[in-house]
Amino acid sequence: MSQFNRRDFLKALAVAAPASVLHIPNAKAASKARIVVVGGGFGGAAAAKYLKMLSPTLDVILVEKNKIYISCPLSNEVISGHGNLKDLEIGYDGLKKRGINVVFDEVTAIDPVKKSVALKGGKTLAYDAMVLSPGIDFNYAGVEGYSEALANGDLPHAYKAGPQTLVLKKQLEAMPDGGKFVITVPPGPFRCPPGPYERASQVAAYLKGHGKTKSKVVILDANDSFSKKGLFEQAWKTIYPGMIEWVPGASDGKVVKIDPKTKTAYTNFGEHKADVLNVIPPHGAGSIAKATGLTNEKGWCSVDMLTMESVVHKDIWVVGDSCVHGDLPVYGAPKSAHMAVTQAKVAAGAIIAKLNGQPAPVPYFVNTCYSIAAPDWGFSVVHIYKVDNGKLVYVQEAGGISPIDTPALAATRKLESEYAIGWLKNIMADAFA
Amino acid sequence: MRYRALFGMLLAGFMCSSHAADPIDALAITCNNCHGADGVSVGPSMPSIGGLPESYLKNIMMEWKSGARYSATMGRLIKGYSDEQIAALANYYAKKPWVPAAQKTDPKLVALGKKVTSRCAGCHGETGKSEDSETPNINGQWSQYLQLEALKYRDDAVTMPNRQMRNAAKKLSDEEVKAVAEFYASQK
Repeated sequence: MSQFNRRDFLKALAVAAPASVLHIPNAKAASKARIVVVGGGFGGAAAAKYLKMLSPTLDVILVEKNKIYISCPLSNEVISGHGNLKDLEIGYDGLKKRGINVVFDEVTAIDPVKKSVALKGGKTLAYDAMVLSPGIDFNYAGVEGYSEALANGDLPHAYKAGPQTLVLKKQLEAMPDGGKFVITVPPGPFRCPPGPYERASQVAAYLKGHGKTKSKVVILDANDSFSKKGLFEQAWKTIYPGMIEWVPGASDGKVVKIDPKTKTAYTNFGEHKADVLNVIPPHGAGSIAKATGLTNEKGWCSVDMLTMESVVHKDIWVVGDSCVHGDLPVYGAPKSAHMAVTQAKVAAGAIIAKLNGQPAPVPYFVNTCYSIAAPDWGFSVVHIYKVDNGKLVYVQEAGGISPIDTPALAATRKLESEYAIGWLKNIMADAFA
Repeated sequence: MRYRALFGMLLAGFMCSSHAADPIDALAITCNNCHGADGVSVGPSMPSIGGLPESYLKNIMMEWKSGARYSATMGRLIKGYSDEQIAALANYYAKKPWVPAAQKTDPKLVALGKKVTSRCAGCHGETGKSEDSETPNINGQWSQYLQLEALKYRDDAVTMPNRQMRNAAKKLSDEEVKAVAEFYASQK
């Protein structure tokens, strides 16, 4: 792990920023404050980076378990063979060069009263402010018969990109024509709301591309609707007619139990025998959030919607998939990388303001989320939020999904399929470089 | 507004040193997600926008907002912002330096592109460097992005306001579109 390196830091400054920072009179002491960022995914990495960019004298420590991060966005395309897992990997050298102290360790406990963090390696880190971005953890007990051991073995959920993604890809490749690929979807909210449906599309893309069109993809869903539903259904009907079947919760789609030996998924009244069984278990906030008492009765972290500061413990800001942000179910911020990064930027601004004894700045939240249903067939959903009378509101006149019926259909789908890939390169750089 | 200005000061401190505080900075950093820091994109399908002419940037965003110009994604984003915010974003990005993207180009296509672009030079100049406030820099713009833009102009189903550009793009063959994009992408 690299300690603060003055030469690298100055180099980074010379590139990014030709000047000193805080123009606020009482900022001097606050500017040396220590911020511990827990979790180095999109949210945590972006928080660390923007804290350091906005206030270079801050002591920013990022604690992350793994040396390499693998992007979940675009990992469904790895399963179909249209993407490469290597292209989704990124390390932490970019953040180190900015003068962020990256510690590869695991947080075992957070003391929100003493304001300190205990690490598995034995160290304890005191903090003035913390950004918690632990992502999600899976509730394996939510599906009887499923377990973490099975997920790491023959029944990968592949809902955190990595080795499981490649196991699932191999299982798809080995499936004979006429086989059944079953994806089970947990009750919402879950990370990447369109993820399971994009996955179904990518699986079908592989099958169609390899002449295995007698095969079927069955989505057993605990929910009665899903993100970008009209767009997905249009793509399925147009590109994969008869290949993808969606079973909503209301039609007994909720999977309650599986038999790993026979690869059978059981709903309340039915059973579905699969050739490839892809169980996505229910989600909750990362376990460290729960252990710290930051989660609500539904298992997610409630935050102040304008600052991302926890409503339970002050001086802890929660960003990314583990928080619940937005009060209306339809317009609540989705658990996406884009949202995590914008939340991180808002949290960084709010933390610096608080350290300086200033009220938080007006926040800007935006989400853009692309899905690729097939080569040259991408689409998106956009969410824009603004502050109105001190409350965060969804801007009705903006946002929404890509048009379903448009004379420019081919161009629109082609453009957004390419934008998805450019988006990922930029957002990875925005968070990690 | 006062606090937005303060946040702007914090940002302005590292971004543009001696300039007065500009509250638009807090909004502009959300654009980094797709267009890169200071509008320098590292994703070939996404355009760099830092250093483009202010008038061009403002017009294009206002046209997306009104629907006069087609967009696949941007219209849904830009409708969320006021005309004043759009003007301030255009001003913000116009002040950034134009940074040609480091990218590999195909020498054969670049050579063909140089020939073909004789008919583009009237508006875009010989190298694609903007010479007026309504024309974007395309020297060193991403080749893939330029090809995707050409796709819009060449498709009658897509609403694009610039008739001259549409006519010019339609006269090109598929290979020539690629060549033109590669040529301008290779220019510094």
